[in-house]
Amino acid sequence: MSTQVHATLTEEHVRAISEELGEPDWLLETRLDALDALETLPFPDVIRTPGRTWTDLSELDFESLVDPSTTTEHKEREAPDDAEVLSFAQAIDEHEDLLREQFGSVVDPQTNHLTALQTALFTTGTVVYVPEGVDAEEVTIRTTMNSQSLFNYTLIVAEQSSSVTILERQETGSDADAGDEGKYYSGLVELVAGENSYVQYGSLQDLSEDTYNYQLKRASTETYATADWIDCNIGSRLTKTSVETTLAGEASESKIVGAFYGHNDQHFDVDSRVWHEDEHTTADLVTRGVIDDDARSVYEGVQDVGSEAWSTNSYQRENTLMLSDESEADASPKLIINNHDTEASHSATVGQVDATDLFYMTSRGVSEHLAKNMLVNGFFVPVLDEIEVEELREDVNDRIEDRLQARS
Amino acid sequence: MSSEQDHLKETDTEARFGFKKEQQSAFQTEKGLTEETIRLISDDKDEPDWMLERRLRALRQFHEMPMPTDWPGQPDLSEVDIDEIVPYIRPDIDTRGGVDDWEELPEEIQDTFDKLGIPEAEKNALSGVGAQYESEIVYQNMQEQWEEKGVVFCDMDEAVQEHPDLVEEYFMTKSVPPSDNKFAALHGAVWSGGSFVYVPEDVTVEMPVQAYFRMNSEGMGQFEHTLIVAEENSEVHYIEGCSAPKYSKFNLHSGCVEVFVKEGAHVQYSTVQNWSKNTYNLNTKRAIAEKDATMEWVSGSMGSKATMLYPCTILKGPGATDNHITIAFAGEGQNIDTGAKVYHNAPNTKSTIESKSISKDGGRTNYRGLVHIADGAEDSSTSVECDALMFDNESTSDTMPYMEIEESKVDVAHEATVGKIGDEDVFYLQSRGLDDDDAKQMIVAGFIEPITEELPIEYAVELNRLIELEMEGSLG
Repeated sequence: MSTQVHATLTEEHVRAISEELGEPDWLLETRLDALDALETLPFPDVIRTPGRTWTDLSELDFESLVDPSTTTEHKEREAPDDAEVLSFAQAIDEHEDLLREQFGSVVDPQTNHLTALQTALFTTGTVVYVPEGVDAEEVTIRTTMNSQSLFNYTLIVAEQSSSVTILERQETGSDADAGDEGKYYSGLVELVAGENSYVQYGSLQDLSEDTYNYQLKRASTETYATADWIDCNIGSRLTKTSVETTLAGEASESKIVGAFYGHNDQHFDVDSRVWHEDEHTTADLVTRGVIDDDARSVYEGVQDVGSEAWSTNSYQRENTLMLSDESEADASPKLIINNHDTEASHSATVGQVDATDLFYMTSRGVSEHLAKNMLVNGFFVPVLDEIEVEELREDVNDRIEDRLQARS
Repeated sequence: MSSEQDHLKETDTEARFGFKKEQQSAFQTEKGLTEETIRLISDDKDEPDWMLERRLRALRQFHEMPMPTDWPGQPDLSEVDIDEIVPYIRPDIDTRGGVDDWEELPEEIQDTFDKLGIPEAEKNALSGVGAQYESEIVYQNMQEQWEEKGVVFCDMDEAVQEHPDLVEEYFMTKSVPPSDNKFAALHGAVWSGGSFVYVPEDVTVEMPVQAYFRMNSEGMGQFEHTLIVAEENSEVHYIEGCSAPKYSKFNLHSGCVEVFVKEGAHVQYSTVQNWSKNTYNLNTKRAIAEKDATMEWVSGSMGSKATMLYPCTILKGPGATDNHITIAFAGEGQNIDTGAKVYHNAPNTKSTIESKSISKDGGRTNYRGLVHIADGAEDSSTSVECDALMFDNESTSDTMPYMEIEESKVDVAHEATVGKIGDEDVFYLQSRGLDDDDAKQMIVAGFIEPITEELPIEYAVELNRLIELEMEGSLG
C-alpha cells in the first residue's frame, strides 16, 4: 500500500498549522492523536465482489498527492446579520467553548485513515453558528483551491428552533499548483441540528479534473429537527463522498439529495447513509446521476433502522442514466432493519435515456442530440427542485448545461 | 398455546421432520481432514485416479483459503470446526450404489423415509427417487420410459463409474471450481453421494425428478454433489428437498450443485431446505446457460442455524434467461443469509429475481445478491424485487443487493420493501371472522404465494405446512 504519508508528514507540520491558527492545546492534542493513529486506521470500506473492486482509496499515492507545507485557498463568505459565519481562526477566538463541545462530536476524527489525515492537516474552515430562535437567510461559502492539496473543515451548529440554508461550493483556481500525480481535496462537515431546528446544507463540488476528492458529511439531529443535504458532484478526477445523517432525536427527519454528472474518465463514488436511532424518524434519500464517456459511478445507500426506532419511515431511490457505451455504473442500496414497526423501501435503476421519450421528441422535429439533452435536463429536475438556495440551483443547472453543450 | 396446537407441533414437526434413528455404520473415517482421509474415501469408492487427484487438489486449496469472515453482517462461522466433523459415513448396507426396489432397503431406512413421505410423493407420480441416506444414495428408481430416451438419473458415485467421460468433463471444472470458495474446496475434497442427471438432446422429462437428502449422524457433514447436464432443447425439472433430525452438536452441510443448460434447453431446480436448527448450511450452486436457454431456481430456506447460499446463473449465450424465486424464513436463533447471483455475459439476456423473507422471534434474514452486466451484453435486462416481513422487534431483516453495470444498453431495476404485517389487513380478516393467528397465517401464505405456485403441489403443501407450524410456535 502506498499509504506512507508519514515520509513527508511530520509532527512539526501539524504543530505549525495549529500555531498559525492560534489553536488551544486540546485541539493540537486532537490533531496529534489523529496523526499518531494514521498508521493503524483503515481506509474507508471497499466493496469487493468476485473480480471487481468498487472504489479503493488505499491505492492512491497520498505521498505525492498531499503537500502539507503549502496550502492556499481563497474563501468568500456571505452571511446574514443574525447568524455567525466565522473562519476557523475567528471561531477559535470567539467561540472556543462551542468548538470544544462540538468539534468531533458528530464525526470521530479517527473514523478512518482519511478523516484522521484531515484532522491532522486541515488549515482552513468555517463555523456557522445560528443562535436559538433565529431564522437565518442564505449563508454562502465559496472555496477556491489554489494549492496542490487542501483540507477544509466545516462545522454548523443550529440551536433550538433556528433555521438556516447554506451553500458551500468548491472549485479550483486557475493558478493552482498541480503535482505530478494530481491534487487532493479533503472536506469534512459536521452538522449539529438542535431541537426543532431546520438546516439545509447544499454543496456543489466543481474541482478541476485532476483532483482526488474525499468528503465526509454527517449530521446529528435532536428531537423534531430536520437536516437536509443536497450534494452535487461535477468536478474532480475521483470523488468518494459520503453524506450521512444520524437521526438521534425523536421525530427528526432527514432528506439526502444527490446529483452527479460524470464524463471523460471521472470516477464518482457517492454514498448516502442514514441511521434511525429514535422513534418516529423519517428519511428520504434521492440520488440521480448521469455518466458519459468512460466515466464510472458507484453508489452505496444505507438505511439502518435501530431496534428502538419505532414507527419509522425510510425511503431511498437511486437512478443512473448511462449516456455512453463505455461508462459503468455500480449500485448497492442496503436496508438494515432491526425494528418491525417500519415502513422501508429502496429502489435503484440503471439504464439509458428512455427510447419512447426520445422517439416522441424526434417525431416532433427535435434533433436527436437536442432531444437527448432535454431529457437529461429533465432527468435532474426532481433533484433541482429540492434546492432552496437559488444560487446553488442555478449553478448546478449551468454546470449541467455546460456538460451537455460540450457533448459532441 | 392450545393443546391441539401442541399436538400438531409434536406429531408433525417433531415426529415427521425432527426424528432421529439409531444408526450402525459400516465405515467411519477418522476425525479431521488429512490427505489420508481423502485417499481412504476415494479408495473405498474405487474411484479412478483423476477423481482422487481432483479431491487432493481441492483439499490443498481448502487448506490454503481463509474462512470468510469479512462480509458485512454475515453469519458467525466460528463454530464450524472442520476437524470435529467426521466427513464421511456410509450406511450399513451391502449395495454400494443403492438398490432398485424399495423393499430391499433395510427396514430402519424405509421407516425414515416413510416419515418424510417419499413413497407417497412417488405414488403421486413424481417420476423418480434418488434418496440419500447419510452420505450415500441407497435407493434408486427410474421409470423405464426415461431410460429408453437416454435420460440418466443416478447417484453421483455411480456416475463416476458408469459415465466417467461426462463426469470428468463437467465435475467441478467449468461451473464451480473448488477454488470458488472455501466450502466449495472442502466439498471438492470430501464430496460423497448426490445425483447425476443427464438429459439428451430434444428430450423433455415431463415429470419432476426428485431427490431427498438427509443427515442422520451426530457430528457428520454432508457433501452431496448434484450435476445436471441438459443437452440442446431438452427440458427437466429437478427437485431437492432437505430435512434433518435435531442434534445437540452442530452439523455442516456443504453441498454443491452444477447445472449445464445447453442451447435452447430449460432447467428448473427447486429446493425446500429444512435442516435442523443447528446445521450450518453452506452450499454452492451454479448454472451456466447457453444461447436461448432458461434456468430457473426456486428455493425455500426454512431450517438450519445459519445458511449462506446464493444460487448463481451465468448467462453465457445470447438470449439466455434466468429466473430466481427465493423465500427465507428465519425463526429463533436462525441466520438465513441467502440471495442470488446473475452474470449477464451475452447480449439479449434477461434475469428476474424475486425474494421474499420472513423473520420472527429474533431470527435474521438477509437478501444478498449480485447482478453483473458485462460490457457487450447489450439489450439485457434485469429486475430484482425483495420483500421482507418482520414479526417482532427482536428480529432483523437486511437487504444488500449489489449491481455492477458495464453496458449502457440495458434496463436495470431493483426494488425492496420491508415492513410488518399490515394492521389493516389483519383487522379486515378478523372482521370476516378469522382469529388473529389464522389471519396472520393467511397473510403469510399470500405473501409467499409467488413461490409456492412454482412448486409441485406436494411441495407447496409441505412448505405451507412447515410455515404454519413455525407460525403456530410464535403466535399461539
